[in-house]
Amino acid sequence: MRKDLISGLVLLAGAGTYYAWAGEIADSTLSDEVGAAGLPHVLAIVLAILGILLMGRTLLASQARQVAAGADDDERDARLPRAVGFLLFGAAYVILLPFVGYVIGTALLIGGIALYEGAPRTWVVPVAAIGGGIFYWAVFVKLLGVHQPAGSLVQGLF
Amino acid sequence: MTTIMDIIRLLTETPLIFVSIAGLTWGILGGALPGISASITMALVLPFTYTMDPAQAIALLACVYIGAEYGGSIPAILIRTPGTNSSAATVIDGYELNRQGRAGEALGISLMSGVIGSLFGLAMLIMLTEPLSWLALAFTPASYFGLGILGLSVIASMSGGSLIKGLAAATVGLMIATVGTDPISGVTRFTFDIPDLLGGVEPVLVMVGLFALTELMSQSGSTNTTQLNQKIKIKLPSLAVMNRLKRSQFIGCVLGLFEGLTPGGGGSIAAFMSYNEAKRWSKTPHLFGKGSEEGVAAPEAANNTVASTALIPLLSFGIPSSNSTAVLLGGLLMHGLIPGPRLFEQSAQVIDSIYVGSFIAIIAQIGVGIIILPACIWLVNRPRPYRAGFIFALILSGIFTLNNSLFDLGIALALGLVGFLMRIAGFPVLPMILGVVLGHMVESSYRRSLVLSGGDHMIFLQDPIAVALLSIALIFVVFSLSREVRDARKTRIEEARS
Repeated sequence: MRKDLISGLVLLAGAGTYYAWAGEIADSTLSDEVGAAGLPHVLAIVLAILGILLMGRTLLASQARQVAAGADDDERDARLPRAVGFLLFGAAYVILLPFVGYVIGTALLIGGIALYEGAPRTWVVPVAAIGGGIFYWAVFVKLLGVHQPAGSLVQGLF
Repeated sequence: MTTIMDIIRLLTETPLIFVSIAGLTWGILGGALPGISASITMALVLPFTYTMDPAQAIALLACVYIGAEYGGSIPAILIRTPGTNSSAATVIDGYELNRQGRAGEALGISLMSGVIGSLFGLAMLIMLTEPLSWLALAFTPASYFGLGILGLSVIASMSGGSLIKGLAAATVGLMIATVGTDPISGVTRFTFDIPDLLGGVEPVLVMVGLFALTELMSQSGSTNTTQLNQKIKIKLPSLAVMNRLKRSQFIGCVLGLFEGLTPGGGGSIAAFMSYNEAKRWSKTPHLFGKGSEEGVAAPEAANNTVASTALIPLLSFGIPSSNSTAVLLGGLLMHGLIPGPRLFEQSAQVIDSIYVGSFIAIIAQIGVGIIILPACIWLVNRPRPYRAGFIFALILSGIFTLNNSLFDLGIALALGLVGFLMRIAGFPVLPMILGVVLGHMVESSYRRSLVLSGGDHMIFLQDPIAVALLSIALIFVVFSLSREVRDARKTRIEEARS
């Protein structure tokens, strides 16, 4: 229930920000009656109304339901830091890819995620990581002809 | 008009045969992995179809859907964990048969019932979709606006018990769809001087982010380590067994047809409904729940029928009735194919490829299903940490393929986080995806209609097709609202009693 209140506030804040940004959309001589900013303004208002409705409904909900939802909410909350950590590997991949290239970047990603997810720290991790990097490179770059970054670091070395 | 010669040509075209079998194989493998649903399996392969011929790309996605529906039954029968939502009903008797040492038989019944369901569904798809294409010539911008609103009204029945949250998610989706260049005036909106945003946010990024990345993040830290028996082999049912199962398969096919046509219906509802009906009409209802062959046949025939019949509202009217068809819709849009009636006017080749490709996949499913089972078991038995790493790398590789853009990777990762937060807060993701997918069509057709009418909104009430579509949309919303109010009242009464 607390989550619905926070969600409602987030929706309201989002609607306000979006409305302000929509106000900055430039006018055009080619524009129709509705204009480029017409729909964004309507959407912002709709989202704000939905946010208020969500908060209102939550405040009117019974106390019994709040107690029942508590345990479930806590369990889901606990997963958030772990999930964000998982995503950070992806962010690191995006940052490193132009430098280390596809094969090394993919190998680091596979190895990093495997360790993060609890794989035992044995020789299997680097073998699977390097093997995975080479396997994906062979399939996508060589077999399917899909472009992937070579990496400035790798290109500098060779 | 498609001729027999066209079909024969397509049937003998090597790329289509290869594409269909590749899609089917990928679908079975993906569907067999617990936690990887049919829609995620499709979303994973979606970016790689970007450079393909549109007809083959869409056929590939349709075949992945068919394969995933069968693949989901493998872990359902072997480890009591449905690979996809729609195979949840198969767990009940499939796993009981496995416990009795009849896993091979259960897999064989699942495979053959799936093939029958898919063939029936495909026949219905071909019969029902073609006549609807006649409406194409009568569609005006106002009709397309009605179509978009009807597509969005599906949200009402897919909001998972909270219409407010569903509508909020859809609104955010529509907001994302406004990013980029305005379809009428050419003015840029919400691009913040970033060139990568000029073309807008591609629906495929939203789908991969919200479906695949969110699921991977949700599974992070999970310690499920169930192992499958590597020696299991599929035992195809004899003609006598198939004769015994025909009633339950028929029930599955009929209910699969209706659920596929119903927005928000989907394979899981069809599977559970047909399980119940098969039990009701069975000569041996006491065996249900204790290892009934009919208990496997009915839900499998149903969910495989849905894999084809769910394409009827999608291809005819551009209405995605489930997560999987939403991904397929994303595939159509990615290739510049306008969903709905125009598809039949301008891209008959795509429709033919879906029909023929699906037919190839369904027939090939018998052989591929048997051959690929050891590979599925091997894949499911891989340690989860490595599996997560390989799937994550596959997702990111696919996204980069779209535009060779690191910015796209950042967008998809951000959307993955948004999807995870939505899941925590209890917001459904499908309405948001529908908002992104249909937003452009709704806005541009609305504004074009007003340009044509000189700003008079009566144009939407003067076009008979628009009126019909908007009325159906209204019925959907009212029906869903009344159901939500009824459910809320029932919950309050139960709470008061307890």
